[in-house]
Amino acid sequence: MSGKKEHIISVEDYSYRYPAAKVNALKEISLQIEKGEFMAIMGSNGAGKTTLCQTLNGIIPLSQGGRWKGQVVVAGQVTHETTVAHLAQEVGVVLQDPESQLFTTKIMHEVAFGPENLNWEVPLIKERVEWALDVVRLKGMEERPPSALSGGQKQRLAIAAALAMQPNVLVLDEPTSQLDPMGTMEVLEVVQELREKYNMTIVIATHKSEEIVKFADRVAVLDDGKLLACDHPRKIFNQIDLIKKAWIRFPQVSELALELAEMDLELGTFPIFLEEMEEALKNLLQGGGKDE
Amino acid sequence: MIKYFYADTLIHNLDPRVKIIILALISISIFLITNPVILGIIFVALIIFWQVAHLPLKNMATYFKFLMGLFIFLIIVQALLYGGDTILIAPVVPEFVPLIGGIGRITLEGILFGVFVSARVLILVSLLPLVGMTTPVDKLALAISKMGVNYRMSYVITTAINLIPLFQVELAQIMDAQKLRAFQVFEEGRLMEKMKAYPALVVPMVIGAMRRAQLMGVAMDSRAFGAQQYRTYIEDIEMVTRDWVVLIIGSIATIGLVVVNYVW
Repeated sequence: MSGKKEHIISVEDYSYRYPAAKVNALKEISLQIEKGEFMAIMGSNGAGKTTLCQTLNGIIPLSQGGRWKGQVVVAGQVTHETTVAHLAQEVGVVLQDPESQLFTTKIMHEVAFGPENLNWEVPLIKERVEWALDVVRLKGMEERPPSALSGGQKQRLAIAAALAMQPNVLVLDEPTSQLDPMGTMEVLEVVQELREKYNMTIVIATHKSEEIVKFADRVAVLDDGKLLACDHPRKIFNQIDLIKKAWIRFPQVSELALELAEMDLELGTFPIFLEEMEEALKNLLQGGGKDE
Repeated sequence: MIKYFYADTLIHNLDPRVKIIILALISISIFLITNPVILGIIFVALIIFWQVAHLPLKNMATYFKFLMGLFIFLIIVQALLYGGDTILIAPVVPEFVPLIGGIGRITLEGILFGVFVSARVLILVSLLPLVGMTTPVDKLALAISKMGVNYRMSYVITTAINLIPLFQVELAQIMDAQKLRAFQVFEEGRLMEKMKAYPALVVPMVIGAMRRAQLMGVAMDSRAFGAQQYRTYIEDIEMVTRDWVVLIIGSIATIGLVVVNYVW
């Protein structure tokens, strides 16, 4: 028992259909996420990533309605038996569109919004706001309007707004899809820090394979609402048929390896990191040199 | 249109409750006032307040432009239906015809009443930004809940106000997209062409704004909105001497104008 890790999220044979929809958006998903784990959810558009993210804090089905089967348990609470507001203290959510989730006129108010709703004392709220802004590296900007921030900063602010309620789980729904590479790195570095320093469980839906192989412990692959696989990134990206079926992009170095393989230039390994590719290419070139 | 406009002015710094109360008083008074001169005084006062708050007067000109169609409609309807003795255009149907006799008659009194009603609408529309553009939405929500309204309801009100700029953004984006595809009906088209083109503008605008509003709702839910019966506020508002002075002077002036209207 002692060797077993604690599951903070357990999705149990869960199917969900949006109101007025004719087909299920999620189909018999079963997935367990351990405390402190960094889980990536990948899949093409319409695969069910956003839907799955929204089941984790109860937005689905509590706010969206619709029909469901099975259950989602977060920190011991069955999501459809509680309220979104209650779950908000366990699961912080960051949405894809930075504009729609920021609705106050000051950064400080944006971060304080959650704790204010929980009716916390003002000194405690101030303390949490200060901490959350410090974590996302926006300290000193309290009085500025969110509209004055860059895309990456806005997403970091959205993370701070979720963090202020000190959730155990942070769910990020394609948080970098509208960001440039710099903004993407800013956000992912903050997320990684949260996981390392605070042992926070991270669930991130994304299309960006390069970044995800660096950070994720496991990757869940969705296609048409079904969970096709859930495993270590290396094992996932080694399954070429799976990746092609789910319409996911390989990391660029893996794509290069596949191209080389088509040209009969076998690397002897399937790299997913740039460093691995460098090493493999070095070996290939050295080997090639010897042959000649 | 009523998106918060940052400036450090007396009106910006007033307690939002003072602004809401004076807004309510003026809104009621313009329906009680029947003297066009007094209505004119209120309108001039509003322009002065806009200047004091450093709000761009071109916005007011934009409202006027947008509402011009409504004003023309109001004036025509009143000119036809209000009645009066000074007949400018004789009726199309003679007076002696039963039931429909007198239709098409346009009177001076009707036109003046139409202008008067339009002026009331213009004052109302110019009044709202003096609160909306000078008060951050979170302070407005706080003020409304401090006035005894449940905080959920106060957020419904302020979020609805917040949606107006969202509609504007959506509208501008759709118009730009249409222009990029050489659609110039709104610039160069005739009235009927414009009327036909409106659904193509309004439908995506409403759908886009609804989508944004829904996302905003999800974001608010995700941050425990409505979790507790009461909520705290990191920043509080408090009435200071300046607020009381403005409230008293503003109330006396507004009520005074109504009284003058009836005794004059």
